[in-house]
Formats: sequence, structure tokens, C-alpha cells
Amino acid sequence: MTAVAPAAFQQANIDYLAVLPLLIVFGAALVGVLVEAFVPRERRHTIQLTISVASLVLAFVAILFATKHQGLTFGYTDGATSRRLFALAIDGPALFMQGALVLMGVLGILIMAERFGGVGSDAFTASGASTPGSPIEAASARAGLITSEVFPLTLFAIGGMMLFPTVNDLIGMFIALEVLSLPLYILSGLARRRRLLSQEASLKYFLLGAFSSAFFLFGTALLYGYAGSVYFGDLSKAVSDTSLGLNGLLVAGAFLVFVGLLFKVGAVPFHAWTPDVYQGAPTPVTGFMAACTKAAAFGAILRLAYVGLDTASWQWQNAVIIVAVLTMIVGAVLSVTQTDMKRLLAYSSIAHAGFVLVGVLAFDQRGVSSVLFYVVAYGFSIIAAFGLVTLVRQDGGEATHLSQWAGLGKSHPVIAGTMAFLMLAFAGIPLTSGFVAKFAVFAAAIGTGGATGTVLVVIGAVCSAITVFVYARVIVLMFFSEPADDTVEVLVPSVGTTFAIAIGTLITFALGVVPSSLLDLADRASQFVR
Amino acid sequence: MSAPYVPVLFMLALGFGFAALSVFTSLVVGPKRYNRAKLEAYECGIQPTPQAAGGGRVPIKYYLTAMLFIVFDIESVFLYPFAVAFNKLGLFALVEMVLFILTVFVAYAYVWRRGGLDWD
Amino acid sequence: MSEMSSVPWLTLLMVIPLVGSAVVAFLPGSAEQAKRIALGFSLVTLVLGVVAATQYKSGGTAQFQLAEQHAWIPQFGVSYALGVDGIALVLILMSLVLTPVCLLAAWHDVPEDIDGARRTKAYFALLLVLETFMVGVFAATDVFLFYVFFEAMLIPVYFLIGRFGGARRQYAAMKFLLFSLAGGLIMLVAVIALYLQGPGGADGFLIAKLTGLSLDPTTERLLWVGFFIAFAIKAPMVPVHTWLPDAATESTPATATLLVGVLDKVGTFGMIRFCLQLFPNASEWATPLVVVLAVISVLYGALLAIGQTDMMRLIAYTSISHFGFIVLGIFAVTNVAGAGASLYMLNHGFSTAALFLIAAMFIRRRGSKRIPDFGGWQRVTPGIAGAFLIAGLSTLALPGLSSFVSEFLVLVGTFGAHPVAAVLSCTAIILAALYILLWYKRVMTGPKPEGLTGVRDWSLREKWVAAPLIAFFIVIGLYPKPALDVINPAVDKTLSYVHTNAATVAEGSTK
Repeated sequence: MTAVAPAAFQQANIDYLAVLPLLIVFGAALVGVLVEAFVPRERRHTIQLTISVASLVLAFVAILFATKHQGLTFGYTDGATSRRLFALAIDGPALFMQGALVLMGVLGILIMAERFGGVGSDAFTASGASTPGSPIEAASARAGLITSEVFPLTLFAIGGMMLFPTVNDLIGMFIALEVLSLPLYILSGLARRRRLLSQEASLKYFLLGAFSSAFFLFGTALLYGYAGSVYFGDLSKAVSDTSLGLNGLLVAGAFLVFVGLLFKVGAVPFHAWTPDVYQGAPTPVTGFMAACTKAAAFGAILRLAYVGLDTASWQWQNAVIIVAVLTMIVGAVLSVTQTDMKRLLAYSSIAHAGFVLVGVLAFDQRGVSSVLFYVVAYGFSIIAAFGLVTLVRQDGGEATHLSQWAGLGKSHPVIAGTMAFLMLAFAGIPLTSGFVAKFAVFAAAIGTGGATGTVLVVIGAVCSAITVFVYARVIVLMFFSEPADDTVEVLVPSVGTTFAIAIGTLITFALGVVPSSLLDLADRASQFVR
Repeated sequence: MSAPYVPVLFMLALGFGFAALSVFTSLVVGPKRYNRAKLEAYECGIQPTPQAAGGGRVPIKYYLTAMLFIVFDIESVFLYPFAVAFNKLGLFALVEMVLFILTVFVAYAYVWRRGGLDWD
Repeated sequence: MSEMSSVPWLTLLMVIPLVGSAVVAFLPGSAEQAKRIALGFSLVTLVLGVVAATQYKSGGTAQFQLAEQHAWIPQFGVSYALGVDGIALVLILMSLVLTPVCLLAAWHDVPEDIDGARRTKAYFALLLVLETFMVGVFAATDVFLFYVFFEAMLIPVYFLIGRFGGARRQYAAMKFLLFSLAGGLIMLVAVIALYLQGPGGADGFLIAKLTGLSLDPTTERLLWVGFFIAFAIKAPMVPVHTWLPDAATESTPATATLLVGVLDKVGTFGMIRFCLQLFPNASEWATPLVVVLAVISVLYGALLAIGQTDMMRLIAYTSISHFGFIVLGIFAVTNVAGAGASLYMLNHGFSTAALFLIAAMFIRRRGSKRIPDFGGWQRVTPGIAGAFLIAGLSTLALPGLSSFVSEFLVLVGTFGAHPVAAVLSCTAIILAALYILLWYKRVMTGPKPEGLTGVRDWSLREKWVAAPLIAFFIVIGLYPKPALDVINPAVDKTLSYVHTNAATVAEGSTK
């Protein structure tokens, strides 16, 4: 047998309009880096904020245009075997997720940009590399250093997130995973206050994240060994072609790849990082992560589950069912014991991830659309909730302990009222987006999941009842208790933060009362291209 | 049966042979003057101090340099195959490559302007 | 099946209080002004409700009248569909009457402290929001819409108890919310599953589309259980009643009135509208259990009421007893008992309101809810004492007052179907006489208490609180025909679903 000559180079077909949103976001991130390099310090914050928001809005417009350019792109059809080797799939779920990510990203960035009258963003340290409490730190704060790098970092993360549900092969998925994760590791460590906690969070997130990436990569290798290709189309075909043996490779590979993705959504037992990172990271970053990372990762899980490994679902679905049940139960039960607002929201986000997984397991188009709706509904609510957390202060730092929120309804009825409304949304009370979202995933699960789906939904309902206690307790503290401490104050947010919180809350309300247009959009966007 | 792998095996053997030969040659012809530093388990020619200079902290400069090295290393990793197949790839690949290099240069500019290349 | 209305009466009945609550909450002004505005809005709603009721034609062929229907969430099969039958109509009218009465009674519930105006506004705004949801929950003819109101209603009540209640209000509010939501979430699973059993489509949640389905017996029973647990918690039946005494004791009298008098009716109303109409076979299957639970509720509530020293708690236990009667009447599945149960819901709303609000008058004067702290009050406040006696006599179903009619109908109607249950429940009539008259004796009779020199008899406002309630007892007690005329066709209609279904099943089994 002689050496096979490498196939002739075949130029990739690229539909530039279809990938324009991605190009805009990544391009803006690069421009942001150049701004950091060449623009005087005092003007950076404003310019960076402008670039970020403008590029995201532009990207949203581009996404609207890209809906006319759906299909596979960034690759070619192999002439001899007629395999479709495309790296990106611009389809309904991908564009829906991109649009949601871009809009939630705008809100996230507006909250990150909050200055409260200072030179730079209030939430971020003056110099991330200095030792907490060291003279260097004090000097850099005095010198008016700012970490406006957070804006390009966030844009890179958003770009990676947009890529995540769009990629059509395992290697691309891995790259997207890394592109979205690496900036988040850095952002987590940049908190201005309680910096040791923040750095610990960053390191923990990085180490565990790297670990899960390794799992993902190992799974990719095994799946490649099984199918001889990393493209989802080939993978799906290889599974349905029953003459292929080597099921051990398939099952192990699928598990490992899922581990990598479930880590990102914070599903139990891969959730251990969530409370620590959510607590330690700067609060605006936490809100951004909770909304966008989760959305992007669920987009990727959907594509993997419905396009790549759909034909092998019976091999892995039992494992994911167990994960979903554990996630709901652990998230709900552990949130009961929390005394810190950010940790409470972290465990609540775990429980919500479990509810979304119930929708993923419905295995049909309604499952897809319910998941799409859920992550958007949850994302806008959680960004607003973390935005509110940034406003409540004691001695300059954020007052995240629950006892510090006592009696807030008396002193600051608007802030407390908004928070209470968002809590009701997380609890899934009707006339909030949380209820419609929960209904959507539960209905999908019962509708197509059969007996298993019904059992999952019953467990979900029980867990919802448990989490209601948690959210109601926050309301009890805010409205039914006397303030424990007079020194807790609420800062007056800038226009940007106010806008972000208001929009998040309004969408939470609107999706609860008139959800049909977004449901309709999610329905129409629930078809994957193969 | 595995004709394509014969050259690889040959290459492997050559590599091992060269390494073994070098070690053997230095063993035979090299001067032997032992001192404390040379007898350390981790031998780098410097006798280690109980604490690193600067109060036990390893200066971050090394890491920065190493990271920058990796960045440019990766760049050349991509440049090699491109250079080999440059003729076949045509204009499209050239543009792609220029864009890639530009992107790396953006990072380079950032590092340069923000003092990443200053040793002190 | 429903008769569309050209004027959206029911929507108007919901919108006006909602607008009122927004006005009260956000308009600057004094607390006094806010209270007047709130009362004004509730009176306008009442007038409109009466006008709407005149449009209702008793004895029409359609199940629902004054109906409205618009697509709401077609993806889920949800419509915004409203409509009333006779039962819903009288319950809505009851809510519309009780709301202004409660607002008037609540005039001084919120102490005027530093941020008194804001707290008062919040209190009255929440009561008006509650009115919106009360109308909605009785008027919804779409299962999903009903569920939305059913759950959303909890939130204003939760705030009303938790913010304005007594010393243990946090505990009571949390207990109320958790019990209700736990039931609601079980029901949610059943709601979703019910839709999937139905014809589906963009309006598949309409009650009309879900009535008369031929369900697999196991499925039907599971669905029935899902709905029934939620309603049993709501209506409080033993053994899931424990939240009610706490909630009623810790909330303000106005909140307690609306909670026990109106909100809890949603449970029994739901049993008629959903358990009986949608799952007739399962209802028949479960009747023995339900009847046993109902009789236990009747006796247990009455017995515990006798032993209470806290007046609000006492009223809560009497209500548990009365709800037992209502459930008994519903699950007797006879036309007489059904009409009795429906009328009972109406009467119980008024008599509980009278007990709560009139008891609150001397509770406020004495500053204590404990019965031993009283004695000889008929010499201090003869007017209130007289009103209280009438309310009490109505509660114990004295002939000539309204509750007698309904209790009699329930017992007569039940006797044919479940004689043992009816006989056992009859003993509760004696127990009722005990707890009411003992209470009256301890509080009102005896020597005139010392040190109550500044206490006056009722004010004009308080007379206006009591007057409509007492007028109702006497009018319905002597002449219940108008109410029964509205209720009877609706009961017959609902029970016809049960009987047709039972008949078809029997037919099928003989073949």
C-alpha cells in the first residue's frame, strides 16, 4: 500500500453575511484591544463602552440579515463521498441564541460599566496583577489606573458564546468553549472588593474549567476514534450505521463530551464551582455569566444532543436524566440553606439548569423551542437581579449577606419591589416569564417524554415548591422584617444600569403576560440544519 | 503492509541514535570536574538558594516571556504549513494568513504599549 | 357552549379595580384620600357588576354567558376566555360586595406611623389587586387562565398577611404560600397533562373542549387527584387545613375575610367546575373518600372551634367545618345538595365576613383577641353586640337566616346518597350552636367591665360595614328564590355532565 496523497486543497465556501455577526463582535474586541494600547487612560472607559454597545447592536442588526442566509457554511461538500464538511451551521437555534446573547450582552456590559462617579468601572479592581492589600494596589488605585480591558474581554467572551451554539463539529465546539471561557476566568478575578475571594474564584474556575475542557477533548478524541470524523453529520450517520462496532468508544466519548458541556451550565455533579465563582466574581460579571454562559452552553448541548448524537440518544439519555434530576434536587435543596445573596442565586441557577435539562430531554422540536425560550426568559431576569445586587451597599462594599437586605422594602421600596418581582419570576409564579418558561419545558417533557418525562416534571414541580421557600424568604426579609442595620444603603445607579435593570425586569413581565410572540419566534427557530 | 510508516520508524531510530551518541561522546571526551551545583538532582548550573530572590516570589516576568514565546510559536506553527502549500492555496489563503498575522500583531501592540516587553 | 357578550363586562370588572390599585399606589396624596379613592373604585366595580348581572339570562342553554374569548398563548393552546354560569356569577357578586365592605372595615387597619401614607396606600392597593384576581378566577373558562389567577392570587394575599398582619405574620404568610403553591404545582402537572389528553390546538385549554373527554380510567383518576389536592388545600379540608387558622389569626380582619370568605371558595368552586365537570368518573370513584374527609372536616372543625380562646382562630375552625358541609354537598352529586352547596358558598362568605369584621370591632376596642379578656360587652357596645349576635345566629344556621336554607338543602340532598354522612354531619348543627352561643356568652354577657370609660359603640362607618351583611342574611334567609334561580340551572348543567357520563359508562358495561 502506498502513501495516500493528501487531497487537493479545497477552498471553503463562506457566506460572509451569515457569519457577519461573529465577525463584528470579534472585530470590535480587537479594536478594543488596540484602544487599550493607544488611547489615553482617561478616555478609555467611554470609548470602550461605546465600541462594545455599538458593536453588539450592530451585530444584532447583522443577525437579522443573517436570517436570510441560513444554512451550513465555512466548509465544503466532498465531491467523492458527498459528505458535507461544514464548520458552522447558521440555523434557527443558532441565530436565536446569537440574538439573545447579543442583547443580554448589552445589558451585561451596561451594568459592568457602572462607575458610581469614579474614573473606571466600580466593580473592577484598578490593577488585577497586584497583591490584594499591597502598596502597589493602593498606588495603582491612587494613580487612577482602570481595568477597561474588561470590555474587550467581555466581547471576546460574547463572541465565543455566539460561536458555541453555531459550530457544527467537535473541534469547533472546543475552540468556542475555550474562547468563551478564558476571558471569563480573567473577569472572575478582577473584583475591586474582597479580592482574595475573587482571585480564589478565578483560580477555581480556571482549574475546574481546564479539567472539564480536558474531558471534552478526550471525549472528542474517542468520538473521532468511533466515527472517523468530528463533524456532527458524520457522527450522526456513523451511529445510525449499525455495522459499526466499538460502542464502548461511542458511549464513553459521548459521556465525556457531555461532561464538558454540563460543567458550563453548572449541572450536578459538575456544579461545585458555581457558588464559589458566582460569589467571588464581580457581581456584574456574575450576572453576565449566569445569563449568557448558560444560554450559550445550552445552545451547544441542544446541537450536540439533537444533531450530533441524536441517533445515539438511547446510549446517553439515561445518564442525562439522572443529571437533570440531581441538578434540580441539589440546586433546590442547597439553595434553602444559603445566607448570601449571590450564593443563593448561584444555587437557584443550578436548579434552573435542571429545569432546562428537562426540556432538552423532550427530544423534539417543542423541546428545542422551550429551551430557547427558557434561557432567554431566565437570562434577562438574572441579569437584572444581579444588577440590583450591585446597588445595595454597606461601607462601600456590596451587601450580599441576606441579613443586610432586611427591611429594604421599607427604606427602598422600588429596589426591593423589583427584586421581589424577579424572585417571583424565579419561583415561577404566573404572570412572570419564569412561569411561562417552566410551563413550556414541562409541557414539552410531558408531551413527548412519556412516563419518564412525566416523572421528571413531577420531580421538577416538587423542586419548584422547595425553591419557592427560598425566594419567599428573601421577600419576607425585605418586606416583612425590620431593618437590622441602618448603614445599608442603596446607591443611585447611572442611566446605563437603570436601563439594563429596567429592561430586564420589563422583559420578565412582558414574557409573562404576552409571551406568544417570543414563543412563536422560538417555535420557528427550533429547526436545526444538518 | 505498513509501507508509509517505514520512514517514520527510520526517523525515530535516527533520533534515538543521535541522542545516545551525543551522551556517549560527551561522556568519553568531556572534562570531568565535579562541584556541588553539578551534583544537584535538578541540575541547571546554579546552586539553588533556599528562597528565590524577592521574598519568595518568582517574578512574573518569566511567565510573561514564556507566554509571549508561545504566542509567536503558535503563529509560526501555522505559518509553516502555509508556506509549504502556498502555491496551491492561492490568494484566499494569503488574505487569511495576513488577517491572522494582523490579529497576532494587535496583541503584540497591546503587550508592547502596556509595558509587557520592558524587563524592569 | 358559551354565549358571547358584546360588552366585555367581566374584563371591565377586572380592569377597574386594577386601575384603582395603580391610582391608589402611585398617586401622591394623603392616606385618607387614597382610602376614599380605593372605596370609590370598588363601589364603581360593584355597580358595574350589578349591571352585568342584569344582562345574565337565567335558564339560557349555554353553560357560560357574558363570555369573551381571545387567543392568548396559542402555542400552548391558551385563550383569554371568560364567562360565568350561575354559580360563578353569584360568587363574583359576593366578591364585589365584600370588597367595599372590607375596605370600609379596613379603614384604620394600618397605623399611621412615619411612612403611614405609603403603607396605607400599599394595603388598599393590594386589596384592590386581589379583587381583580377574585373576579378573574371565578370568571375564567380556560383551565390555564384559571390556573394563572389561582396562583397569582396568592401573591397579594402573601403580602397582605406578611406586611400587615400580627406578631407571627412571617410564619403565617410563609405557611400559607408554601401550602398553596405546593398544591398549585401538583395541579400544574395535571393541567399540562389534561391538555395533552384533550383535542389540543390553539384553544385546547377551554373548559368546553376538555369537557366530556373519554379518558383512560387511570389517567382520569391521576388527573383528578392532581386537581383535587390543590382544591382541598385551598378549601381547607382536613388533613391539609393547618395553614388556615394561622393565616386567619395573623392577618388583618379585612384580609382574613377575603381569604376565608372568597379565596377559599376557589377550592370548592374548582371542585364543581373541574373535578366534577371534567372528571366525572374519577369523581364518582373518589366519592367515598371525599365524603369521609368532608364529614371529618365538619366535625373536627366544629369541635376545635369550641375549644378556641382566640376569636380569629375560632372563626377559622368554624370555616373548616362549613367547608366540610360544602364539599359534602358537592360530592353528594344530587341536584338539591349541589344547589345547597353553591348557595352555602355564598352564605358562608357573608356570615364569615360578618363574624370577622364585627368581632374585629370589639377586638380593636379591647386590644385583645382572647375571649377570656372580654365579658359584659353588650353593656359597653350594645349595637355591635346585637350585630354580632345576628352574625353568629346566621353562622349556626338559625331558620329565617340565610345559612339555614343552604345547610338544610345540603343535608337533605346528601341524605338520599349518603345517609350516614348526613346524620353525622347533623350533629355539627348542635356543635355550631355550642361554639357560637358559648362565645357570645363569654364575651357579651356578665357584669359591665371596669376601666372602659372611653369606649364608644359603633361609628357610622362600622354601621355601614355591618348593614349590608345583615341585610343579606335576612333577605336570603326569608326569600332565597332569586339566588337559587340563578344557581339551580348551573348546578343542573354541571351535574348533567356527571350523569350523562355515568350513563354512557353504564351503557357500555351492559353491552
